[in-house]
Amino acid sequence: MQRREFFKVVAGVGAVIVAPSLITTDLRADDGRLYKTYNKVQLVDAKGNPILASKLLEEENYIFNYPYVGVSSFLIALPEKTETDVTLKSESGEEYIWKGGIGKKGNIVAYSSICSHQMTHVHKNESFISYQKKGQKTMACKQTGVMVCGSHLSAYDANKGCKVISGPAPQPLASIVLEHHDDDTLWAVGVLGSDKFHEFFKAFKSELKEQYGGARKAKKKVKETAQVVTLAEFTKDIIQY
Amino acid sequence: MNRRDILKFGAISAAAATVTLTGCTTSPKPDDSVKPAVGMGSKAPLPAAKGPRVVIVGGGWSGLSVAKYTKKFAPNADVVLVEQRTQFHSCPISNLYLVGAVDLEFITHDYLQAARENKYTYFNASAIGIDKAQKIVKTTNGDIDYDYLVLAPGIDYDYSPWNVDLATEQRLRTEYPAGFMSPSEHMTIKSKLEDFEGGNFIITVPGGNYRCLPAPYERACLIADYFKKNEIEGKVLILDANPDITIKSEGFHSAYDEMYKDYVEYVPNAAIMSVDLENKKVIAGELEDEFEFSDAAFYPHVRGGKLLEVCGVAKDNAFNKMEGNIDPFTYEVIGEKNIFVAGDARPMGYSKSGNTSNSEGHYLGKLLAERITKNKDIPWKSPLTVCYSAVSAMPNHAISVRAEYEFKGKTLAGFTNVELSQEWRGKIGENNGKALMEWAKGMYRDMFNA
Repeated sequence: MQRREFFKVVAGVGAVIVAPSLITTDLRADDGRLYKTYNKVQLVDAKGNPILASKLLEEENYIFNYPYVGVSSFLIALPEKTETDVTLKSESGEEYIWKGGIGKKGNIVAYSSICSHQMTHVHKNESFISYQKKGQKTMACKQTGVMVCGSHLSAYDANKGCKVISGPAPQPLASIVLEHHDDDTLWAVGVLGSDKFHEFFKAFKSELKEQYGGARKAKKKVKETAQVVTLAEFTKDIIQY
Repeated sequence: MNRRDILKFGAISAAAATVTLTGCTTSPKPDDSVKPAVGMGSKAPLPAAKGPRVVIVGGGWSGLSVAKYTKKFAPNADVVLVEQRTQFHSCPISNLYLVGAVDLEFITHDYLQAARENKYTYFNASAIGIDKAQKIVKTTNGDIDYDYLVLAPGIDYDYSPWNVDLATEQRLRTEYPAGFMSPSEHMTIKSKLEDFEGGNFIITVPGGNYRCLPAPYERACLIADYFKKNEIEGKVLILDANPDITIKSEGFHSAYDEMYKDYVEYVPNAAIMSVDLENKKVIAGELEDEFEFSDAAFYPHVRGGKLLEVCGVAKDNAFNKMEGNIDPFTYEVIGEKNIFVAGDARPMGYSKSGNTSNSEGHYLGKLLAERITKNKDIPWKSPLTVCYSAVSAMPNHAISVRAEYEFKGKTLAGFTNVELSQEWRGKIGENNGKALMEWAKGMYRDMFNA
């Protein structure tokens, strides 16, 4: 099993080192949530077969719901190994370290689709946020191969834990912590970084009711497996700038 | 209570406020011991501040953003938002309201919700002056002490370049409103379009730095679209005081030429020289061309909100009259510690628009919080202009621009990091149209947690 072994949370003094599997509740730096474990679930395809890391198409936007039924997240095989040990900072100033991508190439990453600016997210009808391929120009920044939220033109560097490159986003996208097992399967185990889940569920009650039959259903935690589909399969319209 | 009920209630509360402000009561025996609040040194009915008090005057895009982010980053601050209106109406998206593409509810939001969600006080009153020495904001509902004061009164109209008398000015404001300040103006213009039977509909574009550079051009597109779809034999005359369309020029020109060839006539260098409302004619341009109109939305020059002048913190600049006399990096009034001017009343040549004011409010809120908590300032950060303009409605097709600002020393050098999307045709234009609505919803979420 390959996994980023430890996640460092850099607070005001010193560094806190934790192994996610040992934590069953929130780990906090100051008052913020920087790492939280959720149900360990296997990523599977539409037929229930395990997603294999080596079979992921590079630079394809894949979507799976995690850690809640109503929260969509990105799974991306980037075209190259990610940077490692990237220091990130939440809006409230807490620092933490993102260890990098997983997989044999160290290029597989996963992020919550909820933009940290105003919570634009992947919806079944349309998506204004997505990973845009290397060479694909974007209005949000000069760099390519980035996550872009087209609503207010925030850009994130998927190669660096979704560190903000430009635009109004105040902090990185929350990172979905993955495990890559020896049999090439992928598992989601937790969330690193300041998420927007509470605010999201509050702000989008009517949308969640429409899509999932109610906020309570949307707030249920994903168990056992999470189905992975392409963004094009998940949403009717992909809007990119 | 749903939002429609809030809209109804808003009208009732506005009427109640009017009763209160006139001094009338329903009591059969008026209480003679109650002294008038205005100008008598009466304290506002607010609890004593438990921390540094930040008073923000003006509940527009700027004021709401400053209030939220000051409180967020300085939780011990006692933030009070003074606003005379009982409901928020968004100028952004209002052009779509004019042509029925969105309802009034979409652009109407609840100040109380903003205050509840963001844990500051909404104080429903008009600010009528300040006492700098005593650090007091005087309002129609009493005096408020402040430690930090942000004045965000927005714009006012300046009809003086048109050389009209006061009677004509009042008629222009009432019968042919510009549509960039109050929801009543929007309702009036919408009603005009619904009743329009044909002829010329004049839209004017002022010189200087007016509120929302592309908005008059967007409005022309949408009105032309409305005429076209409703088979109204009308033409939109755009009398532009500027030598050309001031922003997204290529996109707007191509829309006029290709989509609205028979419905839009664009006239540059057409500053209004005189207005004859009786005969429905205007004289415009150096050659004094005459234009007849059936109806119009006359948009004059803009100036800083009147309150700045009353407070003695206003100054004429290269663009407009009576805007804030402030440091361009901290927004602090020159010579007045901890008094700030923000939003469309700022003198810097930024786009006077929602996204600019919102992003600027984020910065100023953080600056105030830093002063409160650490007694220092944060590095200047440029506001961000993200602006989508519809060129047709239902379905919406739009064009867009993204820009930041840079300085040379203390002088604004202009736009930087500019990205334009001026293709309104096909999928690109359609996506821009969808993004326009998503942009608006996100902004409302920010200010109101709605």
